[in-house]
Amino acid sequence: MRFQPILRRTFLATLLSLSAAFVARPALAASPAEDFVQTNIHKGLELLNNKQLSSDQRRTQFEGFLLGLTDMKRIADFTLGQYRRTASPQDLAAFESAFQNYAVAVYQSYFAKYAGQSLKVTGSQQRSGDDFIVATQLIDPNDKSGQPPLEVDFRVRTDSGKPVVVDFSVAGIWLALEERDQFTAFLGQNNGNIHTLIAHLSDLAKQFRGN
Amino acid sequence: MEGTGLDRPGKKPENLPFPLTRARKSMRVSRALGLGICGLALTACASAPMTPEMIANNDPYEATNRETLKFNGKIDRYFVIPTVALYFVLVPEGGRRSVHHFLENLTLPTTFVNDMLQGEMKRGSQTVARFLVNSTIGFGGFLDPASKMKIPDHGEDFGQTLATWGVGEGPYLMLPFFGPSNPRDAFGLGADVALDPTNYIHYKQHLWWFAGQKYFTILDLRAQTYTTVQGIQRSSVDYYASLRSLYRQLRENAIRNGRAVKSEDLPDF
Repeated sequence: MRFQPILRRTFLATLLSLSAAFVARPALAASPAEDFVQTNIHKGLELLNNKQLSSDQRRTQFEGFLLGLTDMKRIADFTLGQYRRTASPQDLAAFESAFQNYAVAVYQSYFAKYAGQSLKVTGSQQRSGDDFIVATQLIDPNDKSGQPPLEVDFRVRTDSGKPVVVDFSVAGIWLALEERDQFTAFLGQNNGNIHTLIAHLSDLAKQFRGN
Repeated sequence: MEGTGLDRPGKKPENLPFPLTRARKSMRVSRALGLGICGLALTACASAPMTPEMIANNDPYEATNRETLKFNGKIDRYFVIPTVALYFVLVPEGGRRSVHHFLENLTLPTTFVNDMLQGEMKRGSQTVARFLVNSTIGFGGFLDPASKMKIPDHGEDFGQTLATWGVGEGPYLMLPFFGPSNPRDAFGLGADVALDPTNYIHYKQHLWWFAGQKYFTILDLRAQTYTTVQGIQRSSVDYYASLRSLYRQLRENAIRNGRAVKSEDLPDF
């Protein structure tokens, strides 16, 4: 009879350990996505902080870094929304190329603002087997405001063999979502003409690169 | 008031890619006339033809909203920006920061009421703590020792309170003078005036004080968001759609009180 409580405790402890193992599984699976973000974004920030590079060298290297980190084709297709279904393969290819040019110019200008800051991964969520949201904080060593650090989340997909970033959010704003809202509205205003959007994106990319 | 007024208070706006936090700032600029203007806007828009895009974007009054944005842009360009430029010339950065802290401190009673209405006791206690600390050792709110003491700042408004009670946002609206909104948030603007305990303290110069507070809030808001709004205008393919998307995403984030987005709420990629 004395052993009964001990057995019950042992049984409960085993049950708890097993539950913990099941609960912990998604977190463990999320680790590669977290590592990917921590390592790569750190590399990108280091690139921006490298004072030995000329601005042209920094721009070229950052472009290579960005294209290696993200899946631009996938992002481009996403931003077209419902217009992707009706676009011809030629138009789609031209749009993907124009989008890449635009995105690299604009993202580079965004990231340059964070030079001198560091990134800390704070956790992640697993949306599905190959879809992760990695939460990070951008730490600005010169920030004396006393306010919490800026929260930046990365959407990482791993279904193509290697992890790639497909979207990121700053303080709750997802950039690709915002781009999709803009592009589809623009196309709605221009009778769905993708060529007009391509021309507009090319102009914007030129403007950004000119500065 | 072309800008969204959504910058992160206390952070340098030039370091931010797009307007980042707290639609509450724009909300507070625009309290008093929210309801009436919302009604006017809806009446004016009622006859606009609907397109599938308008329905998909929950923006049935898009044509009128776009016209309102143009109107707001002119007000911003010819009246607000010149005043902001003068403000920059006359008041040094430290002074502008103090004005910002002072105005923010004045909003804390409303924030507290909304914290309570949302059942956010911890955030409510932070609001009280910020108010007490900044009103006393912060010299009436001109300084912000509360942030240095790691008492975090946050905003709440009645639009957010309604959202936490399950009220839907309704169609997107671009309010004249006040910028992006929706019926729920526009109603919240009016309600926040009623919820602000300081509005029940009547004294001889009450109206002048009220008008001055609103005037400086607009000035402070536009000064804070100037660079960010310029950045959005420069990089936007469709500035109107960009503001609409940013406003909605920021509001959702504010309603969640900055908690992580539910992964199922994100679209498939």
